Amino acid sequence: MHKKTIRDRSLDLLIYLFLLLVGVITLLPIANVLSKAVSDESAVISGKVGILPVGFQLQTMKYVISSSQFITSIGISMLVMIVGTVLAIALTALTAYPLSKRNLPGISFIMLLFIFTMLFNGGIIPNYLLMKELHLINSLWSLILPALISVFNMLVIKSYYESLPESLEESAKIDGASNFTILFRIVIPLSGPVLATIALFYAVYYWNDYFNPMLYINDAGLKPLQLYLRDIVMDADSSSAMNKSADDMMNVSPEGVRSATVIASIIPMLLVYPYLQKHFVKGVLIGSVKG
Amino acid sequence: MAMNYKKWMMATLVGGLSVTSLVACSSTGTPGASSITPASKPSAEVSKATTEPKSDLKTLQIWQKDDYNTYPVAKYLEQKTGYKVQYDMLPQDKPEDKLNILIASGEPYDAITIYGSTDFKALYSDYAKKGALIELGPLIDKFGPNIKAVIDPEALEAAKVDGKLYAIPTKSISNVNTSLYIRQDWLEKVNMKSPTTLDELTAVLKAFKEKDPGGNGDKNIPLTVKGEAPFIDNIAGAFGIPNFWNNVNGKMTPRILDPAYPEYVNYVADLFKQGLLDKEYAANKDATAKEKFTSGKAGMILLNWSDVPTIADALTKNIPTAKASYISALKGEDGKAGLAAFRGFDRLTFIPKASKHPEDAMKWINAKLEKETFINMTIGEENKHYTLKDGTYTPIQPIFSEERNAANNFLTGSDDTNYPIYWQARVRKDMRLFEAWEFMNKKEPANTKVEDPLGFAPYLPEFSKSFQQLNTMVGDYTMKLVFGAEQLSGLDAFIAKFKSSGGEASYKEVNDWYTAAKK
Amino acid sequence: MSMIRAELEQQTAHMKRKSIHKSRWKLFRNNYDLYLLLIPGLIFLLLFKYAPMYGIIIAFQDFNIFDGFIGSKWVGLGQFAKLIHSDEFYQVFNNTLLISFYKIILLFPVPIIIALFLNEVRRAVFKKTIQTIIFLPHFLSWVIISGLFMNILSPSGGLVNHVIEWLGGTPISFFLDNHFFRSVVVFTAGWKESGWNAIIFIAAIAGIEQEQYEAASIDGAGRIRQMINITLPGILPTIILIFILRLGYLLEAGTEQILTMYNSVVYSSGDVIGTFVYRQGLGQQDYSFSTAVGLFNSVVGLILIVSGNELSKKLIKRSIW
Repeated sequence: MHKKTIRDRSLDLLIYLFLLLVGVITLLPIANVLSKAVSDESAVISGKVGILPVGFQLQTMKYVISSSQFITSIGISMLVMIVGTVLAIALTALTAYPLSKRNLPGISFIMLLFIFTMLFNGGIIPNYLLMKELHLINSLWSLILPALISVFNMLVIKSYYESLPESLEESAKIDGASNFTILFRIVIPLSGPVLATIALFYAVYYWNDYFNPMLYINDAGLKPLQLYLRDIVMDADSSSAMNKSADDMMNVSPEGVRSATVIASIIPMLLVYPYLQKHFVKGVLIGSVKG
Repeated sequence: MAMNYKKWMMATLVGGLSVTSLVACSSTGTPGASSITPASKPSAEVSKATTEPKSDLKTLQIWQKDDYNTYPVAKYLEQKTGYKVQYDMLPQDKPEDKLNILIASGEPYDAITIYGSTDFKALYSDYAKKGALIELGPLIDKFGPNIKAVIDPEALEAAKVDGKLYAIPTKSISNVNTSLYIRQDWLEKVNMKSPTTLDELTAVLKAFKEKDPGGNGDKNIPLTVKGEAPFIDNIAGAFGIPNFWNNVNGKMTPRILDPAYPEYVNYVADLFKQGLLDKEYAANKDATAKEKFTSGKAGMILLNWSDVPTIADALTKNIPTAKASYISALKGEDGKAGLAAFRGFDRLTFIPKASKHPEDAMKWINAKLEKETFINMTIGEENKHYTLKDGTYTPIQPIFSEERNAANNFLTGSDDTNYPIYWQARVRKDMRLFEAWEFMNKKEPANTKVEDPLGFAPYLPEFSKSFQQLNTMVGDYTMKLVFGAEQLSGLDAFIAKFKSSGGEASYKEVNDWYTAAKK
Repeated sequence: MSMIRAELEQQTAHMKRKSIHKSRWKLFRNNYDLYLLLIPGLIFLLLFKYAPMYGIIIAFQDFNIFDGFIGSKWVGLGQFAKLIHSDEFYQVFNNTLLISFYKIILLFPVPIIIALFLNEVRRAVFKKTIQTIIFLPHFLSWVIISGLFMNILSPSGGLVNHVIEWLGGTPISFFLDNHFFRSVVVFTAGWKESGWNAIIFIAAIAGIEQEQYEAASIDGAGRIRQMINITLPGILPTIILIFILRLGYLLEAGTEQILTMYNSVVYSSGDVIGTFVYRQGLGQQDYSFSTAVGLFNSVVGLILIVSGNELSKKLIKRSIW
């Protein structure tokens, strides 16, 4: 469109350099984990593996991916992530809407009720008893239900709703549209980027959650990936080594296996991300709908 | 709205409380939730158990990498004992929290196997005292002939709480596990022999630093140790403080109160100051220390024998001429020497009150101790998993590792006379492993092996409660002294703090027991 | 005179209140469907969040899981006293605040800058690659990350110290030096979460109307001015939202992170409330003490969030609720 000025060019240079630096700093350690996953174990132990593999091999990776527990747990994680994200995004987007109408009586009190739970919770024992009462122990619902509304995510959506031009809703109201119609026909269709972002947040939350499964899942066949991963990574950790007998020590997973498990657990996220990214990077052209 | 909310809160509050009171009820009263026939229920179940086919059991185990349910040992046991068992696992991360919740909420496990370490022993005793566990004495009399026959009576005695037995102990094999591992080729290069005294150790480390046998210039690390070990095994032994508690003139004394403590600290701090001990000692993770040793930067490392094969492999891959081995127990100035050996329980197996089939659980535990079953469960089938020659069990690889590697996690009590012999098959998986183990445990003079004197002590509430915290406190303080972040002049103040944080009460409790036990 | 005026004022005030009351009722009636929409969310809130809230009472007890919530011994504020009267409290509290402040001051702007800069990038491939890379560390646990940085920062053979030596300096033991430990904590936290935290700002930027930029460039505004005059104000509500919520976690300086990184030599700079409580609780099933400390943190957090919200309402006329 325009001719680039020198100032623009130097700005570009600055921006690209900065981002490149951030990218490299971020990538180096990840490359290290990846390299450890595909390097010879002896090289890993003696710290020879930097950002490139030493003694390249894929056995470890194969061993990790083909273990039956890995396959089961990745399936469980996928299921929980998909069902959880769909339900959570729906409930959060719906609840956020009335809360964005600040002038309505009682709304700010309800908002406070929600905010309160960001900071205060009953602790693990009452939560466990609740799940037991609801017969959800050893059920995947125990992983999905307690996280259906993250107040943080709801606040983000709410803040987005509030940023939509009021004129949109007002003109619809004059045309006689009900609140429901406005929400489903105007507000939600305009909230593409924010909903995609929050969907990513929920997906990642469900994917990364190990705490709820640790508490509520006893059945080995229902353990999601992150719990499996955490147990393996913790295996070499000192805090658990105290209890270990010589036999346990002989069976600790080598570092290469741990790295390979970490990498294998990130891959599904890498596959999901581009799809969501497409949505929130492009954004929605409000202007085009507005007219 | 507010009204509704209040009501709701009340309702759920009451709901929550009723659950907890139910828990309390089931833990002190009758098993399970059905309390219609409180007293006669167990006997009703006996008759049921004898007429019906064997019931399915549900057990809770400690974490392991492989799924218990699909592990070959589980299949073997099912076929051999006739019991179909569902195995659940505790998490690796804070298993105590989960265990507490499961026990307190009355989860109907038929057998629960936990670690036998001090903190878990404390949990077990707590459960027993709170009435959450079934007393096993009568059940053993009825259904546990093998348990009586093969389990060490001393271990059974030590597992009692207030004179009653609530758990089947699996005695741990008393091993020395950790010592100092040295580069033989470095020794040869500096023309010295493997050190046998503290003075010789200092001299060797000095030579490692100054004569540069590793070719690292000024970057040699004569001795590397992980930060989790503020008391360096073997060196601590030379000062007579190999264990947390040591006998000083007939009194059980914790290291920090030991007259030798300042001497130990001075010696190690001196090594540190001279640059003979890794500069990053406190920050070293286990992996960091191993990295330094296997990459040829360090001449000596504090190492568990179970790590020897991987470490040796990595070392020779980097430096083909490298040779390494353990040094023997170092002697201090007054000839003291010692390597800490584990003593006590490896596992404890108990039956909670909430169990629906306590008698079947006991029969199952008993059946696993049948001689043939026990051997097969732990090391497999002769000529398939192992060979037997001149009383030596040698594993056949790779099937032994594939099918019996995790067998130790299936133990619920062991044949305490024979298991230490069978068990050696597990160490013979790799001859380097065996040699390392043998050197520390069989070739060293017997008096250098110092067993934890509290290994079979009964439940000591004060000590169990504060042990981990005191241990961390002392470890942290020792590390600070070595690094010069604290001075020995402040030792008295620290001891006062140690005493007030439960050290005093523990000291009294432990010594009361010790003097009584000696008689 | 003054009496009459006072009376009059009272009357009008009363009428005003009445009419407000009336219009509030009308608002409620006209929007009853919006309240219906809240029901599922409220059920969720009451069932999964408020129903277990009774667990907080154990902060005032010496809780024993077998004695239950009613049967355990009450100790009033004993657990809080235990925290505040412990020798280390002053140091630990001080470290917590310092690390938290550093994290907020130094790390809060980073994701915003990343998002603003990414928005200026026109090359799609570059943009997408960077965006994908920077959110990866979020998926690594602290145990792994600490291990990585211990290698990178190691004085014997670590990358950073190689550079320092090459520049003629002496190697630094980052994990053993009280001058550097907090910096390491802050930097690694930034490394792990900055990219991930940028996502929300990237999304906020995507929500800005494109027309504004077009209008501005017709007016001849340069890109820097567009960034400052359009993009930044466009994402200001998001910035404020995140900032106020961030204040709520002031006393959580990164327990899990520090536990994997610290050692006794750097307690004087790196020991925070969370790690201190962790050590105090070792080997003891002390639910009460940790709950009490958690409650203390939460109360402070709530006060900060509420006052942050009020302040922002007053100063820039924006608030979360």
